[in-house]
Amino acid sequence: MVGAGSITNDRNWLHKSMIQLMKKRKTELLKTSEAESDSREFESVFREYWAYVYRILKRLVGDPAEAEDLALETFFRLYQHHPRKVDGFQTGGWLYRVATNLGLRSIRSFKRRERYEIEAGRFALEESPEARPAVIHEQAEEQALARRALARMNERQSQLLVLRYSGLSYKEIAASLGLSPTSIGPLLVRAEREFEECYQVLTREEL
Amino acid sequence: MKRHLTDGELRASLDGELDEGPILHLDACPECQTRLLQLKQEHLRSADRLSFLNQGIEPVPSVRSAWSRFTQEYLNQKEISMFKKLFAFPVVRVGAIAVLLMALLMAFPTTRALAGELLNLFRVQQVAVLPIDSTGLESLTGNEALSGRLSELVSSSTEVTDEPGEPVVVANAEEASASAGFNVRLPADAAPAKIYVTDSAAFTLTVDRAKAQALLEEAGRADLVLPESIDGAKIAVSIPSTVNTTFGTCPEPQTDKPAMDEMDGPRESYPDCIVFSQMTSPIVNAPDGVDMAELAQIGLEFTGMSREDAEAFTGTIDWTSTLVIPIPRYAATHADVSIDGVTGKLIQRTTEYSSEYVLLWVKDGIVYSISGSGTDTARAFQMVEALP
Repeated sequence: MVGAGSITNDRNWLHKSMIQLMKKRKTELLKTSEAESDSREFESVFREYWAYVYRILKRLVGDPAEAEDLALETFFRLYQHHPRKVDGFQTGGWLYRVATNLGLRSIRSFKRRERYEIEAGRFALEESPEARPAVIHEQAEEQALARRALARMNERQSQLLVLRYSGLSYKEIAASLGLSPTSIGPLLVRAEREFEECYQVLTREEL
Repeated sequence: MKRHLTDGELRASLDGELDEGPILHLDACPECQTRLLQLKQEHLRSADRLSFLNQGIEPVPSVRSAWSRFTQEYLNQKEISMFKKLFAFPVVRVGAIAVLLMALLMAFPTTRALAGELLNLFRVQQVAVLPIDSTGLESLTGNEALSGRLSELVSSSTEVTDEPGEPVVVANAEEASASAGFNVRLPADAAPAKIYVTDSAAFTLTVDRAKAQALLEEAGRADLVLPESIDGAKIAVSIPSTVNTTFGTCPEPQTDKPAMDEMDGPRESYPDCIVFSQMTSPIVNAPDGVDMAELAQIGLEFTGMSREDAEAFTGTIDWTSTLVIPIPRYAATHADVSIDGVTGKLIQRTTEYSSEYVLLWVKDGIVYSISGSGTDTARAFQMVEALP
């Protein structure tokens, strides 16, 4: 028995095999050395940036499974648009920007947000079994609040904070967001103030 | 440097990103130092709240498994368009209807294919939905070598005898009927955006029992034994012309996914798109003399169903006339609906980003489906009411 494509989340093995069959037949006719070269180049990019992209997303959304899905989606967008071929294209910066954007949108989704909060707490507990559950729970709640504050902010401001607190330099952030390195300092001041406002508003709403 | 530092420069100094000139000023300026301390307090508060964004080195899924998953789940999607030619239209968002019609194709060779010399002719007369627990399939999804061998097995044993063509736009139902070779019905109460006709396609599958059995065993299911009689059986599948009519704003055919700019939300591009598909029943010529229920049961057990449940289900199905659509047990719902004078199926699925539905029924030898986004299916039912 088989599944139904996306209806079975791509677990339809025969369906997949048939697609691969068609792929094989088609590529026999259409394959070129350029395509092969592109494919190898993309795989190389994937391998180089996979861990960085995953880590940013894991920390941002808290849920490893969701982070992996979002990381794959990030690379798929790179694959779809092939923007890496443009002169001066900053692959890492582009990936970080798209990844944080996807992560923030994901947190913004109400249904998923609730799940993250539960999952993030659970994973925090698993990762630090030596700590007291009450402490872990409190930390998870604070992180959930911070995530929601990020998701509530102006998108560009929150991206800036995520990238900076993920450890990127001003130069890297500037390349990623298409800004001047000298503008990062002032923007960070503004973003942190907006973040603090959102955090306080959310804290009051929680009470 | 005589002027005082801006807040931005002070902030940069906290990150060690300040140029040398301003640093010299800061070192010598009590006023700037006071402001720096104030700014530092603000910064530390945010830094504390956001420290989870840079905590430790957590384990990362191996790049090898990630790449494997990426190639299987994402890169292969771009090839779906070729397969979609069999069924024409890529449909709403990720393509529920095309996928269902693909399932229709797939359901045949797996559930009723495989056998000896005499041929049986199967046609769809009704639709059944089978909720499956896909845990059994996960062993393939996560196993690159096994998936590759399965692909190779299917590739080496399948011959495409009639390549599917590109969808062709026609002006109205009359042209579509003439092109497709059956009476195309369109709802009287809505103006189509476009009508596409995709010509027929066909392939033949020749069963290599030994390889198929070896694959089952490699997947850890040595308990499932394929009948000896299926070895060498040739199964011919013929997919007739398909007519897809779009309403609202829909993606063009052969688009694997809606164009997704990185700033767009995932898969949110065609909220008002409805696709109405119709095709005559695919035809499967399979050899006679094989217990179809037995083969179906093996397939069901492979998906993770218990032997008892598989027996119970196969006993209720006429495999020669029923289109079996597997849906994931926990990700989609289905219900019988009275539609177009027959009993059809309404399948609904809510993904992380959206909801979509497919209304599916068979009448007078034609398989119909209507798919759309969201959870409000009233419009789909209205369209069916307005069919001639």
